[in-house]
Amino acid sequence: MLELHEVSAAYGDLQVLREVSLNVQEGEVVALFGPNGHGKSTLLKVIAGLHAAHSGSIRFRGEEIRGLPAHQIVARGLAYIPEERHLFPDMTVQENLRLGAYNSRARSRIRENLELVFEIFPRLAERRNQLCSTLSGGESRMVAIARGLMSAASLLLVDEPSIGLSPALKGAVFEAIGRINREAGITVLIVEQEIQHALALCHRYYLMKKGQILFERAVSEADIREIERAYF
Amino acid sequence: MDRFLNAIASGVISGSLYAIMALGLSIIYGVSRVFNFAHGVIALLGGYLTWMFLSRFGLGLLPSMLLALPLLFLAGWLLYHATIRSLLRKPNWEFSTVLFLLGLGILLENVLLQLFGPRVKAIPPFVPFDPTTGLGTLRIGPIITTWHDVLLVVVVVAAVLLLNAFLKWSWTGQAMRAVAASVPGALAVGIDIQRVFALTFALAFLTTGFSGVLLGTKYYMTPHVGWEWMVKGFVIVTFGGLGSTTGAIYAAAILGIVEGLVSLYLAPIWVWPVWFAIFLIILLLRPQGIAGGRL
Amino acid sequence: MSNDRKLGSKKLTWRTIALGILLVFVLLYPLVGGQRNPYMLHLFTLFFIWSIVASNWNLLMGYAGVSSLGNIGFLAIGGYVSGILAKMYGISPWLTIPIGGIATCAVVTLLLGLPALRLKGIYIALLTLIFADSLPSVLTQTREVTGGAMGLHDIPPFFPGAEKIHTYYLCLAAFLVVQYILYRVVHSRTGLAFVALRDAEAFATSLGVSFYRERLKVFALSSFLTGIAGGFYVHTLGDISPTTLGIEPFLLAIAMIELGGVGTFFGPILGSAIIVFGNEFLRVADILRLTLLGAIICTIILFFPGGLMQLLERVETWVRRRTARQPVRG
Repeated sequence: MLELHEVSAAYGDLQVLREVSLNVQEGEVVALFGPNGHGKSTLLKVIAGLHAAHSGSIRFRGEEIRGLPAHQIVARGLAYIPEERHLFPDMTVQENLRLGAYNSRARSRIRENLELVFEIFPRLAERRNQLCSTLSGGESRMVAIARGLMSAASLLLVDEPSIGLSPALKGAVFEAIGRINREAGITVLIVEQEIQHALALCHRYYLMKKGQILFERAVSEADIREIERAYF
Repeated sequence: MDRFLNAIASGVISGSLYAIMALGLSIIYGVSRVFNFAHGVIALLGGYLTWMFLSRFGLGLLPSMLLALPLLFLAGWLLYHATIRSLLRKPNWEFSTVLFLLGLGILLENVLLQLFGPRVKAIPPFVPFDPTTGLGTLRIGPIITTWHDVLLVVVVVAAVLLLNAFLKWSWTGQAMRAVAASVPGALAVGIDIQRVFALTFALAFLTTGFSGVLLGTKYYMTPHVGWEWMVKGFVIVTFGGLGSTTGAIYAAAILGIVEGLVSLYLAPIWVWPVWFAIFLIILLLRPQGIAGGRL
Repeated sequence: MSNDRKLGSKKLTWRTIALGILLVFVLLYPLVGGQRNPYMLHLFTLFFIWSIVASNWNLLMGYAGVSSLGNIGFLAIGGYVSGILAKMYGISPWLTIPIGGIATCAVVTLLLGLPALRLKGIYIALLTLIFADSLPSVLTQTREVTGGAMGLHDIPPFFPGAEKIHTYYLCLAAFLVVQYILYRVVHSRTGLAFVALRDAEAFATSLGVSFYRERLKVFALSSFLTGIAGGFYVHTLGDISPTTLGIEPFLLAIAMIELGGVGTFFGPILGSAIIVFGNEFLRVADILRLTLLGAIICTIILFFPGGLMQLLERVETWVRRRTARQPVRG
């Protein structure tokens, strides 16, 4: 579904991604591990069209999307859920979610997507008329993920959804992502530091260090020590 | 007491005109963070174009506005894509846009001067009034006003409600509010930021031009009066809180009334110094204004 | 390798030679014929004064990144103070000019510099704009002393019997001294601090650069020197009025900086030369003057944001590339 071939990107003179190649099959959850600051977030941003890749190819459903503006990438079914969430603070939860369905494909499915979202995140249903600025950290994370769902995306790019959350909330977030994948059939590429949780969720994972993919494993061959070693 | 009430009434009227005038400035800043230093001349443009269709082409007031205002909408959209867009890409956009719009404002003001001359123009009021014969005046208790003024307030209220409804209920309006709240958030939900910026400029120019027409029915228009309107607009949006349209409306009402009271109790000549003083006080003591706009 | 070094020093010598020639020209001009053309002497004198204004505005806006729209006000305060003291109290301009500078520095640092410490970007632009915009009202209120809307006239010259050639050299001296000061500041640690705070504030403060101190410094210095220029202005021209605070001088000054190149050292000097001498051509177009000025400013900002200095750099690079293709001669 998503194919990256030798994608490179830089911030000014600083090379951040070096010929990264990876792929995500439809229906999978693929995790991306690696030390902080080594390009994982940048990779997601590049795929989402928020940062330019100066070489390589990014194909989504066979179509080349490198170089497309961000809004066209969302329109094609790829939603990016940033770590910083970037919600609209003076709008209610419901308004934020509805805006998630801004792209034309999603507008006709607002009602059913809202139902799906409130089913997976019942807490949000309770808070639907609350301003986002009044939400807790965990709740705003959920709104961010839910908002991505509202875009009727077939592939979610999720950047560290559990960071800064309490263990209970972390579990809830991962459970939600798992349900999204299994019940709604949405493919997920997730960047995470919570290795155990992510391994319980994903089908395959990659390890990225210094802007390069070091290795790829199926979850059945998961080797925690190998992962930990790569972090040092 | 009567004079006090009349001063308040006239303050409400001018306040409502100020409100519609300041909205365009507020919208552009709120969504794109560009401060429109050509704001005054855009209002004048609306007034002068309408006047031109009225006087030189002999059309009625409504047809003239229906011709002039879409032109302003288009002008805003074009200006954004042709110039502002490229300025925003560079790191020093904050003051390159200020200087560019300042230069543009002077340019347009002098073009208006060339085309229309320095003499005063006025747009005929919706309901003609004549103070000597009492034609068109309206008495509400102790308050003496004119039908035209009352209509002005009604029109402004209607326009503000319309704008609010647009911003709250339409997809484009919500997109504008989204971009104003968080550009990365707007990108995440698939909003085309450039399109929203362009539409914002277009809508703001339309609103500002419209306010110019209204102002032109009540006050004199010369190419130079745009600067004065603009400075008042600056005070209003700062007082209200940069980026907040609600704040701007409250600020306009308050400042309109203050202006009326100052005129009554001090003297009209004190009006300008009071505007300046208020501006200075806000900037020095509470720059984020009433509604706590971004600092 | 030696070719590079030669080319490197060649560029430096090229510029230094050009500067040297201009300097000699400007020093000798009145003596070798300038006397016959008092109008040109006058223009040169205006250029010296305005380039001080432009260079200091550029220090504040270009180097320190402060969006100030009110520097003409600095000129006016310095000019009015010096003019009033000299005219009403008979104090010698040698004293009143520095006093004017100090007064300007005090007023600006207190009214603008201090508040600017807490304000960002657009708010500073608005504050400085309203400062300059409100000065004419202040002048009108104090009309017994300042002459109000009519302005201050018959301001005594630098010394009794001063002629155009004396004024020329005095302003030239001021110009050279101020530009030297600015040059040293820009190339000092302070100058570096200004630029660092402009480009990467968080990083600079984390390195120990004091935002407050540097901001106040740049306001104080640019206002002091511009106030001094104001003093030179009034004693050269003999009068000053609220029109100096009008839109035209403001646009002219902005044009000087933008045309030359914001944030460069020689840009404002180049720009002010072109504007002062070119203004005469604009005068021909009389009624269209402001339209043209506005159009020039818009065009420069859109298409030549780096001004003439950037253009010159590009030409230099082009020339260097072409001469580098020449075979190295033994």
